[in-house]
Amino acid sequence: MLHPVSQHQPGVLVASVAAQVSLCAPVARLSLRAKGDVTPLTGAFGVSLPSGIGTCAETDRLSAVRLGPDEWLMKAEVDDLPAILSAGERLYDTLPHSLVDVSGREVTLELSGPKVLDLLTLGMARDPEMIPVGDARRLNFDGVTVLLWRKAEDRFEMDIWHSFAPHILSLLKTGVAELAAEV
Amino acid sequence: MSSYRVAGKGRVDTGKPVDFTFDGKTYQGGVGDTVASALLAHGEHLMGRSFKYHRPRGAVAAGSEEPNALIGTRRGPGRFEPNTRATMQEIWPGLETQSQNKFPSLKFDVGAVNDAAYMMFSAGFYYKTFMWPRSFWDKVYEPFIRQAAGLGVSPTEEDPDHYASRYLHCDVLIVGTGPAGLAAAKVAAQDGLKVVIVDEHSEAGGTLLSEPQAKIDGTPAWDWLSATLAELKATGVKVMTRTTAIGYYHQNFVGLCERVTDHLSALPDDTPRERMWRVRAKRVILAQGALEKPLVFHGNDRPGVMLAGSAQTYLNRFGVLVGKSPAVITSHDSAWFAAFDLADSGAKVQVIADTRAEVDADLIAGAKSRGIPVKLSHTVTATSGRLRVKSVRLNPVDGGSVGAGSNVTCDALLMSGGWTPSLHLFSHTKGSLTWDTDLTTFLPNETPEDCIIAGASRGLWGIEAALKDGVTAGEQTLDALDRAASGTHSYAVENDRAGTGVTHKELLTDKSPGKAKAFVDYQNDVTAKDLRLAVREGMRSIEHVKRYTTNGMATDQGKMSNINGLNIAADALGKPQPKVGLTTFRPPYTPTTFGAFAGYHRGEHFEVTRKTQIDGWARENGAVFEPVGQWSRAWYFPKPGEDMETAVRRECVTTRNSVGIFDASTLGKIEVKGPDAVEFMNRMYTNPWTKLGIGRCRYGLLLGDDGFIRDDGVIGRFGQDLFHVTTTTGGAARVLNMMEDYLQTEWPDLNVWLTSTTENWSTIALNGPNAARLLAPLVEGIDINDEDFQHMSCAEVTVAGMPARLFRLSFTGEIGFEINVPAPMGRQLWEALWAAGQAYDITAYGTETMHVLRAEKGYIIVGQDTDGTVTPQDCGMGWAIGKAKPDFVGKRGLMRPDLVAKGRKHLVGLLTEDDSKLEEGAQIVFDPNQPKPMTMVGHVTSSYQSDAVGQPIALALVAGGHDKMGETVYIPMPDRTIKAKITSTVFLDPENTRLKIAKES
Repeated sequence: MLHPVSQHQPGVLVASVAAQVSLCAPVARLSLRAKGDVTPLTGAFGVSLPSGIGTCAETDRLSAVRLGPDEWLMKAEVDDLPAILSAGERLYDTLPHSLVDVSGREVTLELSGPKVLDLLTLGMARDPEMIPVGDARRLNFDGVTVLLWRKAEDRFEMDIWHSFAPHILSLLKTGVAELAAEV
Repeated sequence: MSSYRVAGKGRVDTGKPVDFTFDGKTYQGGVGDTVASALLAHGEHLMGRSFKYHRPRGAVAAGSEEPNALIGTRRGPGRFEPNTRATMQEIWPGLETQSQNKFPSLKFDVGAVNDAAYMMFSAGFYYKTFMWPRSFWDKVYEPFIRQAAGLGVSPTEEDPDHYASRYLHCDVLIVGTGPAGLAAAKVAAQDGLKVVIVDEHSEAGGTLLSEPQAKIDGTPAWDWLSATLAELKATGVKVMTRTTAIGYYHQNFVGLCERVTDHLSALPDDTPRERMWRVRAKRVILAQGALEKPLVFHGNDRPGVMLAGSAQTYLNRFGVLVGKSPAVITSHDSAWFAAFDLADSGAKVQVIADTRAEVDADLIAGAKSRGIPVKLSHTVTATSGRLRVKSVRLNPVDGGSVGAGSNVTCDALLMSGGWTPSLHLFSHTKGSLTWDTDLTTFLPNETPEDCIIAGASRGLWGIEAALKDGVTAGEQTLDALDRAASGTHSYAVENDRAGTGVTHKELLTDKSPGKAKAFVDYQNDVTAKDLRLAVREGMRSIEHVKRYTTNGMATDQGKMSNINGLNIAADALGKPQPKVGLTTFRPPYTPTTFGAFAGYHRGEHFEVTRKTQIDGWARENGAVFEPVGQWSRAWYFPKPGEDMETAVRRECVTTRNSVGIFDASTLGKIEVKGPDAVEFMNRMYTNPWTKLGIGRCRYGLLLGDDGFIRDDGVIGRFGQDLFHVTTTTGGAARVLNMMEDYLQTEWPDLNVWLTSTTENWSTIALNGPNAARLLAPLVEGIDINDEDFQHMSCAEVTVAGMPARLFRLSFTGEIGFEINVPAPMGRQLWEALWAAGQAYDITAYGTETMHVLRAEKGYIIVGQDTDGTVTPQDCGMGWAIGKAKPDFVGKRGLMRPDLVAKGRKHLVGLLTEDDSKLEEGAQIVFDPNQPKPMTMVGHVTSSYQSDAVGQPIALALVAGGHDKMGETVYIPMPDRTIKAKITSTVFLDPENTRLKIAKES
């Protein structure tokens, strides 16, 4: 029943008094790679590309995270995808870059609740408390590379490639129940 | 109340009775009891049989160091565990336990014949006894040893419990909740510091649980303990009991195993049996205390012979007298206090014998006031009693000579040979040790980890000393964390029992030492005599002595035996102990279940299993799956009644005659984009890319810099600066990493970027003479014919209403397409094609049919027909090399003399003379009549039944094969030798006529 996660209706997948896991609605996802001064892209996308690795920038329609020296990931409203792609295209000759639509690649799970930090400790070797609210980290969760956004003290979003999502969701389900049994 | 339970003593709630069984007999204990304490409360000392001699054994200790009282525990079907320490297992209503290593019963055991024949079973007896005759090893000796040896019985049923794991980050981790650990925790517990303190026992307190007589700053020890625990919890300290720190790894990474449910009568829902905590602590304080040493003398293993400190624990913590008329033999003050506690609780202590000539006058006075006879300068030379000690033989010692023995009747014998600091975790850190001659023990020296060791584990005796050392450890830890300690912490302890003692090798005896059964390692039945024999037979290092005798190699890891073993071996060698060395402590500290190590990774969650979006359809339609790397792929789609061969033949025939549909989503995909994309492709792949037109695709071959084939795939050019690369399923991540590696380290000047799009697309392949006919009506944006969309073309189009990247290519030799749509649309596209295909009798096919169809055309599978030593030329694919290119990865490698030498193994086709199907992996020879061992000249890489060819086909690597077309080779098999003819690898349609789309009339 866990597979494929993308075929579930967005909404709560599993919940307990400890934590809950929801499937987020589909969004446009773009992988941006560029070198040097990327300020021209800021104008094109309407968001100031974050500079510290792991830091994010957000508008009401788009959020971006810097994943590496030349790598950003953006999530945007689905309807905005063509405009973002053509904005990038217009700048390509002056600022060569790679802007790839990866909207079909992954799903996002929202993890929240009073025990959400404990829930994360089931799968990640890094300390979830050390991720500042508003930041994101690409990390290994139960053997799978994911992108984890800390949206609030007790709310995270986890971007997972489709084929790995059932494995992670099964661990999260176990954890949501296990943590509830401790309450 | 059971007859050995003392009213008003201990922490066991006898008002809450708990019934459990041991070897089928029901016993009653109370909440807080262990199996051992509950059995001792009934006067039952006999709890098991030893491993080698099957000698009757009882609990010698009260904690996790217990070597003897190993039991099997059962909680209904599947929940059986052997070798559980009765001293650690808490009882709960309905617990079933059983003794081990006995037949037919614990009290009468046939295997005890080994005991009578003990002279045969001395150190190294396996090596000596079972050497001859050689032929007896497999049939007689090994089965005998395996049957006789082995500790407990392995569980046979699948474990229904589940196991968990978590990571834990903290500022301070304290191991041990004795006085040192608690004092350290009180100092470290500050706002904003995350402090965790753990203990393996069911209750926190450590030695305080056994010493209620002490008063800390005027407060009775147990009141101080509960107040301290409450205070720690109130300040946010995480106090974890039933949690064993099993190992200390690099950079303050400590493994904790928490036993969550083993003490509960009913298993709560959603709760694991055990949880492994992977702790990363900024600072660690080790306060594991010390372990008492047994004395080594003849008969020191009889049930009822017990460590004095453990007897004190049974009395004070569990309210159990281990004997009503115990005798005491000691070389350390601590046993005197144990004797006093037992006497004060109504036991008639028969004697306190001390090996020392002088002891503290207060101790003598304490014995006198209780009417306990005292014998100084005495040794113990024997015990009697079959299943329980009945008497002890004590002899005076004068100037090294042993006088006449006299027997003292007793129902328990308490012994103490002093205390050994627990250095296990400290040693895991690669901490260095120093030998303390006065204490005759190793003490901790330096550790590379951010760790402090405190209290008895660094040789400090007494509660006050431990508390004060804990304070110091806490303060040093705060200092290291740039925190100041708040306030001062000082402790004064009344009724403290800091004592001293001396250390012995085996005790002096007036009997023949060669016949003494003076045990050093109880669990492996190693005696002092065995250790001396090992030295006589040439063992010089303690590591060799250990392996020769198995001393310290049992599941208790020598917690009791290592230091006594060292003292005896050092004496035998005539060297000081540090020159003989100490064996290595290895994790885990105590035996740990496989379940705890596996955690969540069992059953469905054992390992990541990747599935495509079409997996559900395949399951619903009866597919059989095979693992390909992490992926689960549809292997074949049997119809009712079909076996694999029938199904695959049908899938092949239908695809060749009409059309087949195949889920190719697992192929790796990489978007290569940027102004230097074409230059990058030219450098990376063997093929030339500059002239590949937009909207065209080409087969690409990827080599390592050694010139050997690493990967392949069809690559489409979707723009001047944009390539859609496909890789093999298994090679996807590896190829991307290799490309990124080159880009970042060799060619940082190139303006090109790589993005993994493997999971962005669902990829469906259509193949067969009707593929174009099926697909054409569903495609918008391009006409599907040989003029508008010729073979090896690609385009962005709409297929069945979905945005798609469409490739025309063939891995079957038929008209073929690969349709990529955004991954979540994969199943929708599959079902649309499936519905449209019904008019053409479409078949779904799996990886097996894919393999057959490609082999009929001689298309290689990297990793099957190549093995990392195969060049493009070896495969007859020299055509894939852009010879005009200045460079590409592997170009230099291909020029190495070995790679251009004659006679390399070439990929060829094989057709058998008798139409039999060859075995993949079978070896090939040129001359079947040559003497053995024959010269093998290659092997079969792929082999299939082929209806299209009309006989089985095979691909093989054969030395010089390209120059031997039409020649016969031989494949020797166990039953016969098969003749086969070397052919081209292309078995079907060498002119590629089947790729053409016929014009529709």
